[in-house]
Amino acid sequence: MSAAAPTPAARPNRRRSTRWLIQIAVLALAVIWLAPFWSPLITPMKTTPEYFATSPWALPKNPANFFDNLQTAWQTAGLGSGFLASLSYGVVGAAMAIVFASLGAFAIVRLRVRAPFFWFILVFSGTIVPFQMYLIPLFQTYNKVGLYDTWIGMALFYTAIAIPFCLFVMRGAFSTISREILEAARLDGCRDVDVYWRVCMPLSRGSIAVLFLFQFTWIWNDLIFGLVLSTSDGVRPVMPTLAGMQGLYATQGPPIVLAAALIASLPTIVLFLLLRNYMIRGLTLTAGAE
Amino acid sequence: MNIASSREPAGDPAAPGTITSRPKRAPIRPLHYLYMLPMLLLVGAFLLYPALNTAWLSFTDSNGLNNPNFIGLKNYTNLFTDPAFSTSFTNTLLWVVGVLVLQVTFGLLIALVLSGVRGGNALKILFYLPATISGASVAVVWYFMFDPNQGMINTTLRLLHLGGVAQDWLTNVPTNTWALIVAATWQGLGPNMLLFLVGLQNIPREPLEAGTLDGAGPVRLFWSITLPLLRPMLTIVVGIALINSFKVFDLIWVMTQGGPYRSTETLAVTMYRESFVSFQLGYGAAVAIVLSLIVMVISIPYLRTMFRRDAEVYA
Repeated sequence: MSAAAPTPAARPNRRRSTRWLIQIAVLALAVIWLAPFWSPLITPMKTTPEYFATSPWALPKNPANFFDNLQTAWQTAGLGSGFLASLSYGVVGAAMAIVFASLGAFAIVRLRVRAPFFWFILVFSGTIVPFQMYLIPLFQTYNKVGLYDTWIGMALFYTAIAIPFCLFVMRGAFSTISREILEAARLDGCRDVDVYWRVCMPLSRGSIAVLFLFQFTWIWNDLIFGLVLSTSDGVRPVMPTLAGMQGLYATQGPPIVLAAALIASLPTIVLFLLLRNYMIRGLTLTAGAE
Repeated sequence: MNIASSREPAGDPAAPGTITSRPKRAPIRPLHYLYMLPMLLLVGAFLLYPALNTAWLSFTDSNGLNNPNFIGLKNYTNLFTDPAFSTSFTNTLLWVVGVLVLQVTFGLLIALVLSGVRGGNALKILFYLPATISGASVAVVWYFMFDPNQGMINTTLRLLHLGGVAQDWLTNVPTNTWALIVAATWQGLGPNMLLFLVGLQNIPREPLEAGTLDGAGPVRLFWSITLPLLRPMLTIVVGIALINSFKVFDLIWVMTQGGPYRSTETLAVTMYRESFVSFQLGYGAAVAIVLSLIVMVISIPYLRTMFRRDAEVYA
């Protein structure tokens, strides 16, 4: 509640009509906001000649074209292999980053290491530096050591790039665990590893879920590292594959390119709609606003 | 191997950053460092070492083939006489202005309205939806929206008898940069709006009620009470928006590849083109350094707000 909050003011009629105007303006804006979704939803139901002959607002003549176009995008255009590759990078990268970052966070907050804040900042600086700083040496080194255009090279990089933010969140989560719980665990004979795995990790389930979702989405949506570090089908992630289908050198018609965009966007849209509260929490965490 | 906190309750290592409160002479435990090892190895090899290496490369004439020679500041001085770089720099500033005006100001406006309107929660999800899609997908969708013949924008303009406004949005300079900024707004407004909504929720009601009783109108209430109380969140949102507007790449690369004739390039796109299309790696590295210096300087107020909160929570 804020400026738009109703007030017991002297001019209730004017207030009411202003509120109606605002309501209508917001609804109009909402319609405009939805409009761009029309083309990736409807165009894949058309054939390419139909697309060029009809208005983009026109309904498709034969909606069953949808499945043909999805299949062409998935197979012929090679989006399928990118989709599966990104799925594996997202799951593996997010999971490994959470494990390694939480181990580090455990040492920084709960164990005895010198200068814990230094180690934290050293790793966290990975999120402050723009990605452009990593690209050239990564490209060169990957070529030199044979990681270029390999699954393991991509998975390792996505793990590394996800770690700084995971460390930030896990450090926060671990430092809120009360000392009594940890002392009780120790009195019960827990070693450090047990305290980490059996006490700290289960107590941080919420943060871990948010992180997994957020890092998976980030890896899924990445374009630039996929462009620079990979090239062949099966290794190249989904977004660079999509980007390669589009633009000046396009070999597929617009319905197929838009079908590909739809396939590539579906996982993150579905994840958001199903788990939007986690996503919103993740957003406030990214912003450091929680 | 013990948990430090259980041994010395006085010096709680759980408080990050408060080095002074740590026990004076704690024995070093090598095994405790082992927990950090995988993380440090990965971040060191894949992030920190490349970043330092980029700094070094920016002082060389590296082109990926020959051994790089040290050429001092030559890449940097070349930047300032390169017309492509000045276009790129100007475009980046356009992006900053466009993002601040469209994404931040409109994000705040919509948040203000949604917090007091019926169905605000459903609309919140709707406005956020484009943010769940990747930059590449957004670019593909808007590329077809802006198509001069079959695009939804020109078709709609012609339907509304505004055919005179219809044009080749992605080719005409400087309209094309603004067209890209509009597409970016569709994607980027949602997160800003959500953060503002969170900020608005955390504002106590008492000052607003007191202001209302004193007869202040909604506009006055906003400037005198809501906005000052929203300031920490405003710093964060403006900070993130600024940083992102300097780093924008995906949308531009997929929609125009920086063209036609490099007219829509920003610093991030120029860096990519010089490095991975022209293979002027030293020159590309210099662009990366300029970009990073700007981003790191503008990150300072944002990071300070972030860690002030951090210190409050965990101190």
